[in-house]
Amino acid sequence: MADFAPISSWTADDVMHFARRAGFGVTPERAAELAALPPAATIDAWVEGTVSATVAAAGDAALFGAVLGNRADTVTEGAWDASVGVAGAVNVAKVPAPHAFLVSGAEAWRNNLAAGQSYWAFRMQYNPASFPERLALFWHNLFATGWDKVNNMALMLNQIELLRTQGLSGFADLLAAVSKDPAMSLWLDSVTNNASYSGTPNENYAREVMELYSLGVDNGYNQTDITQLARALSGWSFVIPTSAKVVNPSNPGNWKASTATFTVYQGQPIGANHLWWGGTPGNGKVYYMHPDGTHGGETTSISFLGNTFNITTAGGLAPGENALRSILTSRASNCANFLAKRILTHFVNGHYAPGDATDLSNVLQGNGFDLRATLKTLFKSNYFFDASNRFCLVEGPVSWTVRAARMLGMSLAAGDAQAPAKGFPAWRVITSPYFDQMGMKLLDPGGPNGWHEDTAWLNSNTMRYRTRMAAALCLAESYTTYYHNGGGSYVGETLVLFPSNVDDWFPVAPTSGLDVYNRLVALLQPGPIPATVRDGWIAALWPSFLWDTPNKDKARELAFLILCCPAGQLY
Amino acid sequence: MTTRREFLQASAAAGTALVGLTACSGGGSKGGGSTTEPPTPVPSAPILVVVNIDGGYDWLSVMPPTSSANRAPYEALRPTLKIDAAATTDLGSGVGLNADLLGLGELSSLGRVAWIPGIGMSNFSLSHFTAQDLWSQGANIPGGNGWLGRFADVAFAPSGDVLRGITVTSDLPLMLRGATRGFVSISNSSGFVFPSYLRGNKVVSTGAHPLYDTALLENGWGTSLTTPAPTGSSQSGYQAAQAMGKAFYDAQNDPAFGTNNQLPARTPSVLYPGDSTYPTTRVDGGRLSGSLGNQLKLIAQMIASGLPGQVYYARLGGWDTHSNQANDIPNLQRVLGGSLRAFYDDLKSITTASGNAQDRVMILAYSEFGRRCKENDGGTDHGTAGLAFALGKGVKGGMYGAYPNLADLDANGNMKYNAAADFRSLYATVLDRWLGQATTTTNTLLGASYPRFGFL
Repeated sequence: MADFAPISSWTADDVMHFARRAGFGVTPERAAELAALPPAATIDAWVEGTVSATVAAAGDAALFGAVLGNRADTVTEGAWDASVGVAGAVNVAKVPAPHAFLVSGAEAWRNNLAAGQSYWAFRMQYNPASFPERLALFWHNLFATGWDKVNNMALMLNQIELLRTQGLSGFADLLAAVSKDPAMSLWLDSVTNNASYSGTPNENYAREVMELYSLGVDNGYNQTDITQLARALSGWSFVIPTSAKVVNPSNPGNWKASTATFTVYQGQPIGANHLWWGGTPGNGKVYYMHPDGTHGGETTSISFLGNTFNITTAGGLAPGENALRSILTSRASNCANFLAKRILTHFVNGHYAPGDATDLSNVLQGNGFDLRATLKTLFKSNYFFDASNRFCLVEGPVSWTVRAARMLGMSLAAGDAQAPAKGFPAWRVITSPYFDQMGMKLLDPGGPNGWHEDTAWLNSNTMRYRTRMAAALCLAESYTTYYHNGGGSYVGETLVLFPSNVDDWFPVAPTSGLDVYNRLVALLQPGPIPATVRDGWIAALWPSFLWDTPNKDKARELAFLILCCPAGQLY
Repeated sequence: MTTRREFLQASAAAGTALVGLTACSGGGSKGGGSTTEPPTPVPSAPILVVVNIDGGYDWLSVMPPTSSANRAPYEALRPTLKIDAAATTDLGSGVGLNADLLGLGELSSLGRVAWIPGIGMSNFSLSHFTAQDLWSQGANIPGGNGWLGRFADVAFAPSGDVLRGITVTSDLPLMLRGATRGFVSISNSSGFVFPSYLRGNKVVSTGAHPLYDTALLENGWGTSLTTPAPTGSSQSGYQAAQAMGKAFYDAQNDPAFGTNNQLPARTPSVLYPGDSTYPTTRVDGGRLSGSLGNQLKLIAQMIASGLPGQVYYARLGGWDTHSNQANDIPNLQRVLGGSLRAFYDDLKSITTASGNAQDRVMILAYSEFGRRCKENDGGTDHGTAGLAFALGKGVKGGMYGAYPNLADLDANGNMKYNAAADFRSLYATVLDRWLGQATTTTNTLLGASYPRFGFL
């Protein structure tokens, strides 16, 4: 029986375990500050993303917002690289005045994957509220949606913001919100799901919403339920405010939406200041895709999971939403079990005992599927902090990279103070292709099933690229990239991928190789490393110990080894 | 050596050599196929290249009924997405091959392709992921490892043969995971060898910063890959990291990588889809995707380098055409067919220690399922039976299995299972007759004995 009773006290080690799982790690200094606070209230505040005044970090939030808004990206892109022939193609170049990530609002036309990935990676690294970013990453793996098909980064990032802000709500509300999300509508073809008249509905979303998002494959539903739910959700689409149509200035025929609004296409008129999802102005043409009972022969009543629903009535909900939400009531235990397993695999242990999943699913149901209450209970529990649940998971590559960057990179204030270039990671040239090669192409999963976690993160290719990324993270690696200058030639720019100062890693100058090792382990927080491996590294690096510039480079080498070794993949 | 031009002329002369071939016949009889080339003997060092057509491909568009009794139900099921007979190469028996599969019609006419329409399993799943797992496992064996992984378990040296099974995808698919052995993933030829990327101009080496000690780094990392986990550490995660790290470490230290530990650069002898001058474009005039072509180029480079790969794995995604199928399917087919044809032609230019590469390679293509026979509003949903095919000089071309009866579908509107086209028969055929396993070994690997197809 998993012990969900709350812990009554905690240590800095406990704090670091919690912060690795429910965030992207904290430094030993930060852990010591938090360990002095009562665990229950501190964990609650952490989950809420509110920065407690007693944690003395209120200033970080303001600075984070300011930097994110206009000086976060260390690389930029030209207006349009004609040599590539693709609107929005990236011209990476170091620029004197770093700027915001060019992916949303008036920049939505750029529709660039690397820029979107960079924006999110920067948020994960520097957002003083770690948990909303971690939560969004968890939900992004579950509600995995891909830019490649959505082909609209602003809409993708709107979905991530939905996960960030609504990821702690009741699961029924979250499921409904995701089902109405424009990026999801494009991803799983809700926009072409037409069951009007006697039409054959597109069952893509109806299948995956049960198989991947709420129940698990073949867990309490059958093919008839899929087609019935597809009928209920037919016509679920969106419109685009005219003001949100963002045209590529170099190619007026090419445009993207900076935002969009959920709408059920049920034959209603759309205002002239809105566009249908395909871009057609809403001036007269009526799309009719969701049955409303006024057209001969169409079905307005469905049988779904053993219950009958009238899919034309709203009752405060969208037409058909009653059927969608019924998944949680008709198949409550299936749904709770499915969710509990996903939560445990991501946050606690990939090899949880079967009874643990049952216990957590009971917590979920006891809380009426309220995610806030459930996750807070879990994170505060003796179960979560049990020794057997530490360093038992293989960390996902994005989390692994971001956490190391937080430990080794400059602080937000220090990075922002650098000139002419900011001291932030050059995420734009890091995320792509290396996130992909490490096995997690953020914002662009290969399929709606997201990524398998824990040991499935690892194969020879992903291990190779972890060493590749570790070199960038630890060894002050620079990278030269070339961009088209518009005048027929290419210009090279050299960037340090992860700017860092070894002196920042060591508040107290080490006096031995073991000192260096212990400090780096405290920062990078790998799983247990065999003593013989540790001793071999130290002996090879420091036959005799000095702490000058060449030896500080040896500290970089040691950090590299800690990150690359088997224990360095665990968290 | 036959040039590409000569080859194309020969192909054109072959014309519609397969007219008259019945849909259910084995490959042995080639009615009227005077220009059909007989299969070459199984080579002494055969290579298998598996191509996963990922997402469930609509093979009713790839190989549509053109004039048989199936044509009427096909047209009723596909009022807007049906393929005209004029857009196909006739395969006989009222079936055509979509001309968008660039160059495969020619190879089929030469007798180089064995088609297995209707292939599937009795326990079909309409879930991509369950279906893919079932195809990967090839048996309901507890442990859930893959049929080629199990092959590696019995055929590869217990420690060694690290480059005998290679996937050029960045992941390690279940199909390639055995109980004790797995394939190595090499998705990129450049800088594969640790820590080559630490050299050159990639790492700061100016001023007071000397180059990093790459030998120390490699040795230090290597030690961590072989030292047992400390007591109390998570065994599963630690061991997985060790095993996968060591797979990379051993592969890149294999002597097959040569003196400078890098695959020699290679310029393909033909154009592949994705190349800027590849003659066929997307329907909209844009460049075809190089996603599969680049993987096959890498495999060709590995074969040309003398890597001891016996089984390779590649993947082409994007086939989950629930919508927009009329636009997407032609492009996907051009990439699939064009890439396979380019690879086949390219292999002709590669001489290996065990003979010409084209003589050594057989391509095996499969998808986790076919799609729903009845279209929705612009696309098709998940279906059941599929179309697998084997391509190569050692293949006895023709039709195997049986084209499903589109007038006799299951309750969900999907094709019914045909025991004569069980997917495990395909695996059994390949294991026995291409990969050289004893019959009893094959049957053990698959959990039972399945009838073999006659294409090998």
